[in-house]
Amino acid sequence: MAETPKKRSKQTPKHQQHDLSSSNAITIPATPVALEPTPVRRSSRLYTTPTAATAPPPPPPRFTRRKSLNFTTTTPTPIPKTPKKPAPQSQEDAAKQISPISPDRYETRRKRKLDEEKNAGLAKNKDLKGGKKRVYYRKVVYDGGEFSIGDDVYVKRRENAESDNEDPEVEECVMCFKAGRAVMIECDECLGGFHLKCLKPPLKEVPEGDWICRFCEATKLGKNVELPVPPAGKKRARTAKEKFLSSDLWAAHIESMWKEVDGTYWFRSRWYIIPEETAAGRQPHNLRRELYRTNEFADVEMESIIRHCYVMNPKDFSKAADEGDDVFLCEYEYDVCWHSFKRIAEISNNEEDAEEDESDKDWNSCEITDSDSEDDTDYKKEKINGSQRGPSFGHSLAANLRKGQFFGLQKIGAKKIPEHTRCHKQTEIGKAKAMLLLACLPKSPPCRNKEMEEITAFIKGAVSDGQCLGKCLYIHGVPGTGKTMTVLAVMRTLKIEVDSGNIKPYCFVEINGLKLASPENIYRVIYEALTGHRVSWKKALHLLNERFSNGTNWEEENNKPCILLIDELDLLVTRNQSVLYNILDWPTKPHSKLIVIGIANTMDLPEKLLPRISSRMGIQRLCFGPYNYQQLQEIISSRLKGIDAFEKPAIEFASRKVAAVSGDARRALEICRRAAELADYRLRKSQSLNDSAGRSLVGVADVEAAVKEMFQAPHIQVMKSCSKLSKIFLAAMVHELYKTGMGETSFEKLAMTVSCLCTSNGEAFPGFDTLFRVGCKLGECRIILCEAGVRHKLQKLQLNFPSDDVTFALKDSKDLPWLAKYL
Amino acid sequence: MGLKNPAEQAVILLRSRLCNPNFIFTLFSDSPDSNYSKLKYIISSSVTESCNNSVLLLGPRGCGKLAVLELVLEDLLREFPDMISVIKLNGLLHSDDNCALKEIARQLCLEHQLAFSKMASSDENSQFLIAMLRECGLAHKTVLFVLDEFDLFAQGKQRLLYSLLDAMQSVTSQAVVIGVSCRLDADQLLEKRVRSRFSHRKLLFLPPSREDLQRLLEHALLLPSGSDLPHEFVANFNSKLLNIFADKKFKDIMDTVFNTDSTFKQVLTFLFSALCHLDLKRGFLSVENFKDALSNIQRQPKLECLKDCSILELYILVCMKRLEVREHETCNFNSIMKEYKSIHDSFQTTDYYARDVCRRAFEHLLRRELISFLDNRGHGHSIEFRPVKLLISWQELYQGLKSYGSCPAILYKLVERETTT
Repeated sequence: MAETPKKRSKQTPKHQQHDLSSSNAITIPATPVALEPTPVRRSSRLYTTPTAATAPPPPPPRFTRRKSLNFTTTTPTPIPKTPKKPAPQSQEDAAKQISPISPDRYETRRKRKLDEEKNAGLAKNKDLKGGKKRVYYRKVVYDGGEFSIGDDVYVKRRENAESDNEDPEVEECVMCFKAGRAVMIECDECLGGFHLKCLKPPLKEVPEGDWICRFCEATKLGKNVELPVPPAGKKRARTAKEKFLSSDLWAAHIESMWKEVDGTYWFRSRWYIIPEETAAGRQPHNLRRELYRTNEFADVEMESIIRHCYVMNPKDFSKAADEGDDVFLCEYEYDVCWHSFKRIAEISNNEEDAEEDESDKDWNSCEITDSDSEDDTDYKKEKINGSQRGPSFGHSLAANLRKGQFFGLQKIGAKKIPEHTRCHKQTEIGKAKAMLLLACLPKSPPCRNKEMEEITAFIKGAVSDGQCLGKCLYIHGVPGTGKTMTVLAVMRTLKIEVDSGNIKPYCFVEINGLKLASPENIYRVIYEALTGHRVSWKKALHLLNERFSNGTNWEEENNKPCILLIDELDLLVTRNQSVLYNILDWPTKPHSKLIVIGIANTMDLPEKLLPRISSRMGIQRLCFGPYNYQQLQEIISSRLKGIDAFEKPAIEFASRKVAAVSGDARRALEICRRAAELADYRLRKSQSLNDSAGRSLVGVADVEAAVKEMFQAPHIQVMKSCSKLSKIFLAAMVHELYKTGMGETSFEKLAMTVSCLCTSNGEAFPGFDTLFRVGCKLGECRIILCEAGVRHKLQKLQLNFPSDDVTFALKDSKDLPWLAKYL
Repeated sequence: MGLKNPAEQAVILLRSRLCNPNFIFTLFSDSPDSNYSKLKYIISSSVTESCNNSVLLLGPRGCGKLAVLELVLEDLLREFPDMISVIKLNGLLHSDDNCALKEIARQLCLEHQLAFSKMASSDENSQFLIAMLRECGLAHKTVLFVLDEFDLFAQGKQRLLYSLLDAMQSVTSQAVVIGVSCRLDADQLLEKRVRSRFSHRKLLFLPPSREDLQRLLEHALLLPSGSDLPHEFVANFNSKLLNIFADKKFKDIMDTVFNTDSTFKQVLTFLFSALCHLDLKRGFLSVENFKDALSNIQRQPKLECLKDCSILELYILVCMKRLEVREHETCNFNSIMKEYKSIHDSFQTTDYYARDVCRRAFEHLLRRELISFLDNRGHGHSIEFRPVKLLISWQELYQGLKSYGSCPAILYKLVERETTT
């Protein structure tokens, strides 16, 4: 917690401020204001139009907003309000290379450059003067408001527009122009506020769902609407939200805050942008309160903050019913240089952010040194070369070569947000499908409470022990029984406990054996996870040995217990099993503080290994049995809670079917999803044919179709529909099998049988070569197993499926009724 | 250029139709039960609802698995521009995991105009793949992995399939894996843990039925009336063609084609071949064209091989046959020579050649694959001592001798005697 800076006495209280600024505006109405309404570049923000020729010498560094305001009142000259970080320009250069740039943008760029150089100069001056450093804060109380990192705020956009300072906290009713305490309802179209009692007819309470005011309704119908005129003398006050949405304000996300050497407070902002200002413009599916987060940053003085606003992700937004007027929705990130959109990942990657910040700092420093050179072109070149965002330069920036991070991934993004992602009118079946996805994991796996407790107890015991000697847990079970998911769920709950301080912190490393290129690579991965350094696996083995066996911890802070989760453990078995031995040996060392959790499918993996390994691994085991049908039913219905899409027997049928075969939860979910898809497909078909909607629930028949598709081998259908000669061929195979009792036959013998069959039933024998080709085709589909074609007459043949299947498939074939005799 | 024979133009048009699978398969795409609409539904639901699927397209070769897939992809790319990237792999080329990952990275880079490095290790490539899947998912872009010859990917540890399918279980990714295979048991080849992650959508592609075939014939061969061909020519051509379709002889021909192999591929090749026999001077297709095409398409390679053999080679084949009938399990060049000599001695034939000549004939037969070594062992031995086997049956030999113009009567008699005994 930082010291709370006191407001300087110089600063006037709010209402006074208002008066002052408004008087400014009145006295000098001709003040040039950078107020281009729509596609303004951020770069021109807060600048007044500069005229290079008449520009006075750069003003003294760092003036407060108050001063600058005074300054503008006396001389209407351009004053850089905030030292801009130069990164946006390089972005702009990059953007210029990929997309045509409009001339006015070029204009702004030029003037920006001028300002930048000044700023750079200023910064340099400052560096020379003050040896003191910036002080960074997490939380700052400024101008009566408390701001902390991660907050969202409105920022002034115009230098001296009087209206910016009037800030009605409460919105007025569109009808009666009074704020009042009565409940107001917001129109989803124009965002206007209405008192419930002012409506015609008046509403008793806020209705569910979307509500559109009658003005918007009328506009939609194409009528001319006259909005109620405010009573004379009263000017309608615009709220900050309205100003922001009409691009008179900025909104920003506070990334960091600091106090400059001269005592002014600054923050680093990440800008938000309204849909109108993106390259794609407002898209029809954009909500009124929707914003985009950009990847553009700037350092702004805290003076220009107006107050808080609240930007939320869609989930929180839908929950936030009445949190005030300044709530916004932000789902996407907008890349200002590629003009593309990307969803904001749920789990924001802190590492990435840190990295970005770092690169930005580098930027600033290099800028300062560069700015001394007078040559403009040189200056520009330097920048492009330094910029990673520019188009790729040769081999060093190959996207798939990982040097800390992948390059160029920011290029990927949708040019426009596709409309279908915003379809809110999802059917019940659609919702069910989304819930049944394997990707959407429940918070905690149902029906695995006992196992969860056991794992929790194991880890807690091991971590709190401090010693954790020889702690190793082997988890086994058939695929799809929730092994990995359970362990991860346990780790999540433990994480919360660590955060609340109940148990000691530990580090957690997760490795999948099947995702390693070779078993030895596991050392490298572990070492990288623990320290962040990338070394060869031999070196990593050496270092890990040192750490775990000899107890030489290279850093004290790394001395926390380490939990190693190895999925698909059986893949680490090498010929001399040294990898497994090493990994399982470390926990037995006194100072290792290593806990190993191994997951594999086979129950008897420890027994299959060398005794010295099984003695280290096989002590503590946990078995995840296949789910039975009640459990599967619970898993499915817990996901489908609140969604009316499935008939109850359908779920039971699916779970019974899967429990009988494998007890694989993934399979059960997939069957249900497939059944939902089939039902959806069926419904669409019936809708396109005639408008009578069929059953809208997923029934047993759909599940049965899905089960059939999933479990039934398609060979019978293929046999039924294959050519005449293939059928004769197969019948001859079966006939031969019955005659000789041997599964295997040779082509020569089979050809004889076929020719017998053909002649006695009045079919033309096609010749050996044709028959041979038919046989090879069947072999290709694996209906029969056959040797390679070069063996010709000697080729051995065998049915790949039980002869009963062939009999079943061919018994009533219409074109060859005589086949039944031989089956 | 403009002055071209209308027949020539028509042939060009028809040929380009037959070679264009898109044209052929649009015929079957409109019905809701077709594989086309099912596949399109699955993929487009993945695109719009961001659910990850894995689909297997199974069916015998030549039933239009890839053709339908291409058709669907083309439509979807038109419908959702910039939202789909297609990665195509072939099991014959990329069954090795590292190589497949590299190819995926290369195609992803190409698709998104990123720089690609050949030097990246497979670890880096797989991490790149995961990162790309995540980014594409965040940008609402679907990545389609088309794995042709899917069965060949299911070898070894199946690392590629595992990592692809496992990545699809994360929320942010948006991908579809489409496996194309002619092996009907392709999904049984997957390891258990891979199979559990596979979402088992299966589409079965079957050879066309008789009715479909009839529709296909008309769809492919009838000339369109609205083209720049002369109107009367088109009318004439079509009416002649319809006459042919109604002809009994033509139906028989089609039956023979259809009986042996009823796949789209076979039928199209047959039609193409018939089109190639079209007499440009007459300008219309005739039944004879189809007849020629049939003989063209139903080759009997072994019989034709026999036709090209010399008398001496026939002698050797007959000797081998005789030895085989007498149940000599193994015969090699020496025993064949002995038999040859005994025939010569007992029947006093005029064709007796020196051992060296015989050996050359023997080697020739080996090369024509009418006979072959019994096993692959004994490469070091000289040819004389390695056991050989006849690759054609006596019926074929008999038929071959019958159709051989100047076959010595004695050979014929010998074979006949063998068959009767």
